[in-house]
Amino acid sequence: MKSIPAVVYREYLLRTTSLTWLFFDLFMPLIYLLIFGIGFDRALSEGIMMEGQLIPYNEFFLGGILAMTSFGIGMNTSYGFFMDRDNGIFYEHLTYPMTRGEFLLGKVLFNCVIATVAAIIALGLGSWILGISLSVAHLPLVFVGIIIGTAGWFFFLMIFALRIRRNDMYNTIINLLYFIMLFASSLFYPLDLLPSWLTTAALINPVTWQADFLRYFTIGVGDLPQIMLQSVYFLIFLAVSFYAGTVIIRKIA
Amino acid sequence: MKSHYAIEVVNLTKMYTPRGKPSVHALKGISFTVEPGAIFGLLGPNGAGKSTTIKILTTLTPPTSGRAVVNGFDCLHQPLETRRSLAVVLQQNAFELYLTVLGNLRTYARFHHIPRKEADRRITEVLDQFGLYDERYTHAIDLSGGMRRRLQVAKAFLSGKPVIFLDEATTGLDPINRRTTLSAIREQASKGSTIVLTTHLLDEAEDLCDRLVIVDHGNIIAEGDLHEIKRLGVPAYTLNLIFRNVSPQTLQFLKAQNPLHFKHNDTAADITLQRSHQQILDIIGELDRHHDLVHFEVHTADLEDVFIDLLSRQKEEPV
Repeated sequence: MKSIPAVVYREYLLRTTSLTWLFFDLFMPLIYLLIFGIGFDRALSEGIMMEGQLIPYNEFFLGGILAMTSFGIGMNTSYGFFMDRDNGIFYEHLTYPMTRGEFLLGKVLFNCVIATVAAIIALGLGSWILGISLSVAHLPLVFVGIIIGTAGWFFFLMIFALRIRRNDMYNTIINLLYFIMLFASSLFYPLDLLPSWLTTAALINPVTWQADFLRYFTIGVGDLPQIMLQSVYFLIFLAVSFYAGTVIIRKIA
Repeated sequence: MKSHYAIEVVNLTKMYTPRGKPSVHALKGISFTVEPGAIFGLLGPNGAGKSTTIKILTTLTPPTSGRAVVNGFDCLHQPLETRRSLAVVLQQNAFELYLTVLGNLRTYARFHHIPRKEADRRITEVLDQFGLYDERYTHAIDLSGGMRRRLQVAKAFLSGKPVIFLDEATTGLDPINRRTTLSAIREQASKGSTIVLTTHLLDEAEDLCDRLVIVDHGNIIAEGDLHEIKRLGVPAYTLNLIFRNVSPQTLQFLKAQNPLHFKHNDTAADITLQRSHQQILDIIGELDRHHDLVHFEVHTADLEDVFIDLLSRQKEEPV
């Protein structure tokens, strides 16, 4: 296990000494929250109807922002993976004295740490600037949702980085995934406002499962039995992505 | 029982089966050994199977069949122990683009579990050895191609591992950088490391390697030290000739010998011929008697001539 700190150190050096990485990891979702969120909050001044109650859009959106943070960090790591393959260092990593498991664990551990930091910032700013009242007793579960979600996205998005060789193809697919998965979900809006085909697509989207979970445990709004079932789905998604990712990395060279 | 060889390869085969394409038989049962502390050359044309062999020995890809052992550890069944014994410079560039030279070396040291103080000492050493000290705070992305390649080699030598693989490590280097790298390879070998290198630069292999293996289409076609390899080729000699004047008759005579290489100016000619040494003496005698020969030197063929000869014969009589 002594290679895991080396992997974490490498990720730390790369991701925290570059303003670009820091921006996309930590601050991009906040821009959505503080600009997009505020704009829609004003536009929907009466709030969003959810589970029979009207809630301010910002409060509704915070859960989605936390899910976006997880997904975004997974996407950034996937991009980093792709670039590492492209410039050859990934293959050199595979010759280092560590198992493939240690390599992946180190990466996912770093991702979970940075997602937690980003979530703390989002929750802090959401509470302080936007006046969102949080369900404090449930915050530990929020962090559980962030960590498991980040791990799931890491393994899922890693598959594309390891399977696609061409830069243009990778960028197209990842951007499509970003757009479809974030917008065909409950991240930005409640699903009952959507046409039935879009609702169906959103219900089978892991972003929805994560956003609903985080929303419930930040502001206490949502269908708890449905959320618990969706959590099981997400764990299955994580397990399948993990398995696929580890099989691919073993065959990669 | 642990092998006493640094590297042992027994009947190694590798088949690639790309989707929708015919299978590629990259290695067809090669076997060789490398003594500890030796500099071993793996030569061959493009697509011969050299890089596939390196990938198997560095656990990047498993063999289809056969056995590959590095420092006593089986590459397939003991990959982690194998990787603990080796460092590798891959054929493609490989560095942390967005880290500095120092960041690259420190990260590498951490991955190889080198304690901090020892890592700092070794990093200072390799920075000096490879002329990277002034660039230590430069990001790898801002380095020239030659500097990046030097950084890659510097990392491998930083590790202090008993076995080091260099897959075309000097490709793309200018003569000065190349000389620095070759000196570093010799120095590393003198410290006891076993070095396996692949190269297209046969003068480099001739200069450095204790033993060589020539691979073609997945088979070994020649193996031995430099003299043994040279004896496998049809004898060839290079004559450096100086005349009072290279006349048209002299030119005609020399061209009629079917040389492997031939160049000339008004007073000199260099010619490489595949002949026995007695035949060479006869030709020199003829030049001396009838063609105003003033001075001559004779050299045995270099490795490149033998290499080309062996590959040509391999095409005519494949293994």
